[in-house]
Amino acid sequence: MTGRQAPLLSVRDLKVVFPTPIGMVHAVDGVSFDLEAGQSMGIVGESGSGKTVTAKTLMNLLPSYALVDGSVNFDGRDLRALAAERKTEKHLWGVEISMVFQDPMTSLNPVKKVGEQIAESVRYHLGQTRTAARRQAGDLLEQVGIPEPGRRLDEYPHQLSGGLRQRVVIAAALACEPRILIADEPTTSLDVTVQKHILDLLDDLRTARGMAMILVTHDLGVVKGRTDEVMVMYAGRTMEEASTEAVFSQQGHPYTEALIETIPKINSASHTRLVPIPGQPPVTTSPPTGCPFADRCRYATDLCVAQGPPLTALGNGHHVACHTPVRTPAAETALAANAARGHTATGLEIHQSGVPIGAVTGGLGEQT
Amino acid sequence: MRFWGLRVGMLIALLLAVSMFTFGAMNLLGDPLFNILGPVAGDTENPENLAKIEAAKEQFYLDRPLPERYVRWLGDFVTGDFGVRFSASGQPPVSEVIKERLPRTLALSGMAMTFTLAIGIPWGVWSGSTSKKGLDRLSTGVAFFLVSIPNFALGVVLLYAVGFRLGWMPVRFDAGDPFWQRMHQLVLPALTLALGGAAVYQRLLRTDMITTLQEDFILMARAKGLSRRHILFRHALRPSLFSVVTLFGINAGAVFGGALIVELIFGIPGIGSLFVESIFREDFPVVLALVMILTAGFVVMNFVVDVLYSIIDPRVRQ
Amino acid sequence: MKLTAEPPMDESSGAVKARRLGPGFWLPMGWIFLIVGVALLAPVLPLKDPTDYFIRPGERPPYPPSADHWFGTDQDARDMFSRIISGARVSLAVGFMTVTMSFIVGGTLGMVAGLVRGWFDRLASFLFLVVLSFPGIVLVILIIALIDRSVLTISVVLAIGGIAPVGRLARAATLSFAEREFVIAARTLGARNSRILFRELLPNVVIPMGALVLLGVAAAILAEGGLAFLGLSIEKGETWGKLIRNGSGSRVLRDSPWVAFGPITVMFLTLASINYIGDYLRDFFNVRETGLGQ
Repeated sequence: MTGRQAPLLSVRDLKVVFPTPIGMVHAVDGVSFDLEAGQSMGIVGESGSGKTVTAKTLMNLLPSYALVDGSVNFDGRDLRALAAERKTEKHLWGVEISMVFQDPMTSLNPVKKVGEQIAESVRYHLGQTRTAARRQAGDLLEQVGIPEPGRRLDEYPHQLSGGLRQRVVIAAALACEPRILIADEPTTSLDVTVQKHILDLLDDLRTARGMAMILVTHDLGVVKGRTDEVMVMYAGRTMEEASTEAVFSQQGHPYTEALIETIPKINSASHTRLVPIPGQPPVTTSPPTGCPFADRCRYATDLCVAQGPPLTALGNGHHVACHTPVRTPAAETALAANAARGHTATGLEIHQSGVPIGAVTGGLGEQT
Repeated sequence: MRFWGLRVGMLIALLLAVSMFTFGAMNLLGDPLFNILGPVAGDTENPENLAKIEAAKEQFYLDRPLPERYVRWLGDFVTGDFGVRFSASGQPPVSEVIKERLPRTLALSGMAMTFTLAIGIPWGVWSGSTSKKGLDRLSTGVAFFLVSIPNFALGVVLLYAVGFRLGWMPVRFDAGDPFWQRMHQLVLPALTLALGGAAVYQRLLRTDMITTLQEDFILMARAKGLSRRHILFRHALRPSLFSVVTLFGINAGAVFGGALIVELIFGIPGIGSLFVESIFREDFPVVLALVMILTAGFVVMNFVVDVLYSIIDPRVRQ
Repeated sequence: MKLTAEPPMDESSGAVKARRLGPGFWLPMGWIFLIVGVALLAPVLPLKDPTDYFIRPGERPPYPPSADHWFGTDQDARDMFSRIISGARVSLAVGFMTVTMSFIVGGTLGMVAGLVRGWFDRLASFLFLVVLSFPGIVLVILIIALIDRSVLTISVVLAIGGIAPVGRLARAATLSFAEREFVIAARTLGARNSRILFRELLPNVVIPMGALVLLGVAAAILAEGGLAFLGLSIEKGETWGKLIRNGSGSRVLRDSPWVAFGPITVMFLTLASINYIGDYLRDFFNVRETGLGQ
């Protein structure tokens, strides 16, 4: 959204494959996106959609047996080549790009003092003295809103609550003033009451520091009103990519639509049943020839089964990978046809109204 | 504070119990008089010998009841007087003998424990983190070999292979040699004692290391861009050390026990041979002193382990 | 219904392994059967007399291995092969007798302590703790040196040394089961302690403890070997430890290594096989879960 120069981070046709006993798992299957300096972006999808694997690829955290293809460019540097070299660029990860993890209960080392864990990367990468690093750790604790930072520095993680621990994790990630912060489900394991505080904190810190952020989450509600752009992933592929506003106001992909339906709405009557998505994401050992979402999609047509839809531009940076984008005549026709015969092209049974059977009976589509 | 007080109390109670047991067992099962005087002890017919017997009984308090002798001994012992040997001359005093022999055993045990840690820990860290399957399998095989072979058998094998065939290491200990030479002569026996323990440490540490390396905080450390070395030794090692530390206390006892045997194989005149000789000669004061020293050493090691525990795991401190 | 991911990763549990009893299992098992079989059958096998002197005129023993003496002879020209087998009889006997006694006494104490709790449990636990907190080998040496040393007495003393560790494990295992539903259910139904002990706990504690029996046998054989090196093994007859010690004097070892290496090899193979099978069974029964892991 800012300047039109080369983006800070540029991912092109990223593919990640894990060899497993049950076959090759295509965790990420041809994902591309750009991130400008200072911009924030959400990557949204169910578990198994490849969002976390994408984040780990950016952080060079994949296990060594993972097979990676495609290019990742950060500020003109080829991250995949740097990852392969190992030693030469040790001051990139943790310094220019850093990450906040999902579970603060397990992501802090239980036997190291909080202060040490924050000061560690400053000392390691920037070669600061113990005292200087400690002072900085104290400042960081203050910035992330921890009361009495001086005392907390010498405490161990088990002495802190979940919310405070996540603040410590954030402080540690910010220690070297990164230009990109990747937050992988940063609030999922926290109390609901704490979640908003942490998200607001991340927002504030991002604005204050002018850093870019990638917010990875399964919950569209988390990115609403927070990120500039959203990328919706499913089965390792990009389903839709648009400004956050557009995703909520004029989403094109049936999957995005389904995700939005799973967000609880404050002004709907209590006891309103949330609409789950029927079925489960496919296991991506053998990527389907057609659209991966077709099995669970009420709009699915024969074309969807036969041929995977390419990611198509709708203008204004809005991209959708769907043959029958929501709210287009094609979608109306397909839905009407499916409703008339009682099931979709993939055999998903639906009511006359167009609501999938599985959704009504509660069934399998529970969201995490 | 109360906790440590309790520990010290238990230590003292334990030493008392062990000394009572040893004292009782030796006096009930053995025949001290015979060992002081030889065959004369049985000859009560001859008045000349009878006089000797009476004199010896008096000298070593053998005519007093057992509890009194025990209290007498205990009183001397706690004031640092280990008594005199049970022999016709009573010389040299027990403390002299022990002062001469004990440092060798301590040096051997200390060197062995150092080797155990110096080999076992890096080995465990390496094998718990390597991705080279073939080498890891080989190292597991070597560890299994070392765990299964008795230390006296390993001592004989090392003595033959490294000492005699390869000629890399001295095979005899000579108490008259200069310090560093003597240390050099202790290397092979210390290795004999250390390798089995090192293999056990390696096995434990490997398992725990593999578990630790799957923890989220390791992922976070990697995300900080720290080097592999830094992550392994500064992040993964300490949380993986719990079982190794527990074992360290148990292993210390095994090292003491093993030292007695290994000393005999390599001809080191430490307390191992002294202990066995003294038991056979029923030289009670020496045996008692050694039992007390060994027990105290063992208990102190366990004490050290508890302290180590609270150092590596802050969660134990509360 | 779409593919639910098949659960393949997590099948390292017993059932799958049991189907794959490869040579890694049968080789050590075969060795154990062989050595125990030969030891049992030694009196009827056509072996040389282990105490006979096979002096060859004009040659100084020990004689190296040959067609006549497969493992060579010792310094007194006695046949090492038959001596090793005769040693196996004693070493294995000590191993099995020790384990039998320590498991019966220690196992009973531990299970009863874990079941009835109260003062008995406190007393037993305290005694276990005390015994375990000083070097048992010192006292074992002390006692053995003062008594007549036969297979039986040595086994008894070693077994006494084994009571505390076995007892503690049995107690831990019992406790972990005593909390489980089926025992609580039995209690609720008014079953008496003795009934619970025999009907409910015995099968559940004894089976996993059985996996530890083998490891105990190895430990006892090892301990006997150590005593032999201190000159404290049985007074009459051979054990592996005595044979190794006999071959480990400087000159014999340097010039005639087979005298020591024969018994070392056999003893090592036996201990290694027992350890391997013991580890295997321990994993198989998932002993860690029952608190017997350490």
